[in-house]
Amino acid sequence: MLRINNLHVKIEGKQILNGLDLTVNAGEVHAIMGPNGSGKSTLSHVLAGREGYEVTDGQVLFNAENLLQLSPEQRAHKGVFLAMQYPVELPGVNNMTFIRESINAIRRARGQDEFNTLEFLQLIREKAAQLQLDEKLLKRNVNAGFSGGEKKRNEVLQMAMLEPQLAILDETDSGLDIDALRVIAQGVNSLRSAERSIILVTHYQRLLEYIQPDFVHVLVNGRIVRSGDKQLALTLEQKGYNWIIEEDAA
Amino acid sequence: MKSPVQNAQLQTPQQRQQLQREWFQQLVVGAEVDAEYDPDWLLPLREKALQSISTLPLLNRKQEAWRYNRVDNIFQNSFDPLFDNDLEQKICIEDIGLPAIDSYRLVFINGRIDLSLSELSELPAGVILTGTAEALRTIPDQLMSSFDHLHQPGEQLFTALNTALFNDGVYLHVNQSVTLDRPVEIIYLNNNLTRSEQHVGSMIQTRNIIDLESGASATVIEHFISNNKHEKYFHNNFTDINLADDSRLRHYRIQDESRLAYHLSNVQITQHRRSRYFSTCLAFGGLWSKSAVRVEFQAQQAECDLLGLYTVGDQQLTDFHLDVQHRVPSCRSSEQFKGILYGRGRAVFDGRILVDRQAQHSDAALTNDNLLLVRDAEVNTKPQLEIYADDVKCSHGTTVGRLDPEQLFYMRSRGIAEHSARKMLCQGFATDIIESFELQQLRDYASEKIAHTLNSVESEMEHKNGH
Ligand SMILES: Nc1ncnc2c1ncn2[C@@H]1O[C@H](COP(=O)(O)OP(=O)(O)OP(=O)(O)O)[C@@H](O)[C@H]1O
Ligand SMILES: [Mg+2]
Repeated sequence: MLRINNLHVKIEGKQILNGLDLTVNAGEVHAIMGPNGSGKSTLSHVLAGREGYEVTDGQVLFNAENLLQLSPEQRAHKGVFLAMQYPVELPGVNNMTFIRESINAIRRARGQDEFNTLEFLQLIREKAAQLQLDEKLLKRNVNAGFSGGEKKRNEVLQMAMLEPQLAILDETDSGLDIDALRVIAQGVNSLRSAERSIILVTHYQRLLEYIQPDFVHVLVNGRIVRSGDKQLALTLEQKGYNWIIEEDAA
Repeated sequence: MKSPVQNAQLQTPQQRQQLQREWFQQLVVGAEVDAEYDPDWLLPLREKALQSISTLPLLNRKQEAWRYNRVDNIFQNSFDPLFDNDLEQKICIEDIGLPAIDSYRLVFINGRIDLSLSELSELPAGVILTGTAEALRTIPDQLMSSFDHLHQPGEQLFTALNTALFNDGVYLHVNQSVTLDRPVEIIYLNNNLTRSEQHVGSMIQTRNIIDLESGASATVIEHFISNNKHEKYFHNNFTDINLADDSRLRHYRIQDESRLAYHLSNVQITQHRRSRYFSTCLAFGGLWSKSAVRVEFQAQQAECDLLGLYTVGDQQLTDFHLDVQHRVPSCRSSEQFKGILYGRGRAVFDGRILVDRQAQHSDAALTNDNLLLVRDAEVNTKPQLEIYADDVKCSHGTTVGRLDPEQLFYMRSRGIAEHSARKMLCQGFATDIIESFELQQLRDYASEKIAHTLNSVESEMEHKNGH
């Protein structure tokens, strides 16, 4: 589904990704861990199509198509979704209207009928209930004045509504309370299917207890320096990153 | 042939001043005022105003109110001071595209009331709603106190012009403790009517008087519109509002004049004890438009909320000049204005708050936020707080910004096309002003107007990018 080869990315002349390789097949869950500033969010943003990044080398194929030449909205239409580390506030834009515009834009692009008001309301109420998201948040402006945890829940709600093929969750677990973490993890698990792939960026092994990954990767200095199964996350939890960085340098 | 702009630049300051003086004088000379029914007290006022056209200080950029507002282009145009509407016009008010509101309605065609288009039946007892001309004829003494104001230099000239030449306008009087059950809708439909070739368009002067007695309340909606977007005219409107103790007025003004029109509004509000004035001004149209709103608190615990939204496209100049005067203690005022600049135009916002030494416990807040969608738009925003009392709560803030790329990316990453995302953000920016309309029909009408403007901007941009 997703194949990243030798990806090199610069921001404002500074090299952030340094030959990153990653292959994600349909149905797999991949966790990406790594020290602060190693390039995890950069990778997420480049996959979602944010401007300001210069790809100097390498390629990204999504279902055999060159992902990097598509606009952010085209990527969303094709099934890419990024739950952001820092969700953006949209003052004056109603959350419900926003999510409805979003889902209908995607449906239109795919040649599907738009949801009418009733269908949409039923769906969003159902998903909000599953994620235990207060319906009041739907009536407010997108993320405006939301608490950190509420913003993260709102990201997962959007993911649940849009049912992406490739979901990238950038530190969605950070800032969640223990109960919220469990609910969100259930939400993510309920999306798991043979056709859907998930990339989880996280600092904490705890999330991976709830969402069992098929692979764990360690990103250091813009490269994946080690990959393993979920056991690797446990080792990292105990030993930190230094031993990997040292072994990699050696 | 030289364009008027080039002409203006070629002139010396002296020539420009002379042109300006002559412009005013020619209007006065050319006008035929319908003074047959003027009450005795009005005649000397008209005469005095006429005389002052030759002596009042001219508009110039050293005056605060005209600092950023280039006026020389106005005086390149010779307008016809219309006194009557001879032309037969078949107008169907339902076809103009205004929101359908169950209202009492007054319609003015080029400043003259048209009773056949108006709707004044079933007015409740204790309410007078009619044309100013009619009121001057039938109840002249009630109107007397509304004609003795002093104004800012510059504006004085236009006010004098209005006093000298107005033929009609709105007269609304609501008796003590009466609540108007329906809003009053005032529609000014203007077009380019001239009597001779030498004029580029008509000069329209309207004079409005709104008087609420103690405990009265009313909603007034004003629509400034034209037959089409290419009519050239000058509308010089003056409105005097007097709010007695405990009265309440909701005042909505929607300026959607032709894109070639000149529009000047002076709104003068005098507030008494515990009176409340809420207003929302929208400004979409006009080549050149200026709205000056002046609130004077004359007794304690009065409150006013002034909200506004303007959109500015290519060649447009849109100017708001607010002046709130806290002269007595314990009054509250708030001003919130927002602008969307979508073309190479200019917005001017002047917000003056004066708090006198004796006006303790005043509460005054002012904000002006501007969103620039294009590079070449200009904004001059200037709050002026003059505070002479020490125990007061005053705040102000102004911003000029662009659409946030982070926000755009967030929306696009959810599948929303860039042009839709831009539109949604602009509408979001405008939303709190639009929500201030109590009537759903006006909210829908305003949103639709903005959506329409933004759609045409986006399709133009796509057109440009496509080539
Ligand atoms: N606009 C920018 N200009 C300059 N440097 C940037 C910019 N954006 C990111 N960087 C730098 O790129 C590096 C990688 O940042 P990134 O956000 O991808 O890290 P991360 O792995 O997600 O870290 P964290 O775990 O703290 O979220 C950091 O050193 C960061 O300072
Ligand atoms: Mg990050």
